[in-house]
Parts: sequence; structure tokens; C-alpha cells
Amino acid sequence: MSKPHYDREHHVKKATGIGDPQCFKGEAGPPKFKVGDKVRVRDLPDIFYSRTQVYTRGAEATVAELVYESPAPEDEAWDNTEKVVWFYSLIFKQKDLWPDYPDAFANDTLETELPERWLEPL
Amino acid sequence: MAEKHKPAPMVEEVSEFEVLEIAVRELAIEKGLFTAEDHQRWTEYMHTLGPLPAARLVAKAWLDPEFKKLAVEDGVKASLEVGIDWVNSMPTQFGTPSDYCNLRVLEDTPKLKHVVVCTLCSCYPRPILGQSPEWYRTPNYRRRLVRWPRQVLAEFGLQLPDDVEVRVEDSNQKSRFIVLPVRPEGTEGWSEDQLAEIVTRDCLIGVAMPKPGQTANDPRPVRPAVNPYHH
Repeated sequence: MSKPHYDREHHVKKATGIGDPQCFKGEAGPPKFKVGDKVRVRDLPDIFYSRTQVYTRGAEATVAELVYESPAPEDEAWDNTEKVVWFYSLIFKQKDLWPDYPDAFANDTLETELPERWLEPL
Repeated sequence: MAEKHKPAPMVEEVSEFEVLEIAVRELAIEKGLFTAEDHQRWTEYMHTLGPLPAARLVAKAWLDPEFKKLAVEDGVKASLEVGIDWVNSMPTQFGTPSDYCNLRVLEDTPKLKHVVVCTLCSCYPRPILGQSPEWYRTPNYRRRLVRWPRQVLAEFGLQLPDDVEVRVEDSNQKSRFIVLPVRPEGTEGWSEDQLAEIVTRDCLIGVAMPKPGQTANDPRPVRPAVNPYHH
């Protein structure tokens, strides 16, 4: 029985001397959102792997920065690196994440990064 | 002859994760993915890393507005000036899978305080800050900081006024973060060396603020938590 061949080195070859996520620069195409856009985090199924925190699902946020391009973690976890997407740094109002967050601290925020597929325009 | 009974020395318990790491490491060596020498070289390299370059980066940014601008815009490029090459560092030359090379420097202002956490695991800018402290990796810190940031900061001894915006940075993807705190009063005319001394690891994570005269992390007394994490 012949052994299956796995290409375990393609990522090393791509990223060495360039960096990850820098090695995916320019592969995602035009970004769907821009700085200042209001978005909502989608509640997609994540049976196997995800890095989209449950507490962000369904919450509103503002795009603070387009940070880099990279495969989404749901794909990259399985070594699927063909589909590169934009990653956005998002700012949430703590009050929107936790309804009983104290009113006295209504200015408090939380920032985190999510890939484009998890976001819908608001 | 009355012999005094001494208790046997305690053997520290090995956690399940440590057992798992040893098992996977030995299998990888047996399979030839890397050698025992590679592993030793990597471990020794990791132990040379610490928070000093990040403290230097902050001190430089306090003294030089142009460098501050660079640090906030391109943390990876700014790191080169304090001797940290995120892209070409040993041994993988693209960071490690848990140290991706996108450093973001979060600039505090008198009205904005950043604090960093990784709720999903314990992502940490190791090339520039070294190994994370034990408390940073605990579910308690990770779960509670996003939900009750002010209470957790207060447990660290940092009480912030109501009109300061607390911004929790949940480091969940490929960016790694350090905090650029506000330069404290009483440091006028200080040299870069003097300034770098008061930028402790805790200041760089965001759970403390630099103070003249304080050059080490506060001791970490164990206090009962408000809203504790229940396993």
C-alpha cells in the first residue's frame, strides 16, 4: 500500500523571510469594508474550529483598521490556504457585548480581529 | 537516638499538558520531523527572550515622536530598532505558528487605557516580551478580563477614573500586542535607560502603569476574586 503524500512544507516555503501573515499580502482582493464602517458579527456554524469568540456573535462593531490578509482560521486549521480574506480590527462597545455592563463605564470598549466572512454590513 | 523525622521532598505534579508535550515531542523526534538538538536549540532560544526590548521600544517612543509614529504604524519595523527581527528570528524565520509577525503597538492616552488578553488561548508577543506570566494563561484572567475589566484591573492594583475609556484588546488572530503607556509625570529630563527601567512587563500587557521608582512587577498577592471563574 502506497503512503499518501502530504505537502507539509508549502507554508514554510511561502513564509520564510517574509513572515506570516505578510506572506498573504495582496491575495484577498478588494476589501468589502472600510475604516469607520458599522458591521455586525454573523453567527455562523463552527463545528470543528473557529477563532470567532462566542461573545461577539450578533454584536455590532465599528471597523477600526484593516489589519492584514490571511486565510480564515476555519480554513487554515485544515491547511486550506487558497482562500485569503481581509482581517478587520473591530471596536465593540462593552455595553453591546454585555447588557448589564455598568452605565457608569459606558465609554469602555473591546477590540478584536475577525476575518471578512464573519461580518455583515449594518 | 532520637532521629527527627523529615517529610519526603515534594515532587511537583506534572500536568496533563506537559505529558502530552513530551509524548508529541518524542514521537516527532522518532519520526524525524526535527531532532533532539533542534528541540534543545529552540528551547534555549526561547529562554533568551524577555521584556527588555519592548521596554526599550516604549522609552524610545516617549523620547522621539517620529519613532512613536513608526511604532504605532508598523510595530514590526519599529522592533528592528530595539534588536528584534520578527520575520527573520530563529528558528523558523517567520515567527512560530503561535508568534505570527504582526506586532501592533497600542498607544494609551490620558483618556484611553489598553489592556491585552487572549481569551481563546494565551497568544502573547513572545519575540519581544518573552514567555507570558502564569496568570496571563489562566482561564480566570482570560475569561474575566473581557467581562469585568475594571474589577480585574483593580485586583492588579490599578483603579481607573470613570472618564477613562478602558479598551480590552482580545488577541484572537495573527496580531500580537504591546501597550505603549502614557509617560508618567516626574520623568522629565530622563534618559532612555532610565525610562526603559520603569516600563515593566505588566505595563506592557496593560495591567499596570509606569511609575517613577518602580522597576519591577508588583508582587501578585492572591485575593478572592469578585465574580470568580467557576470551572
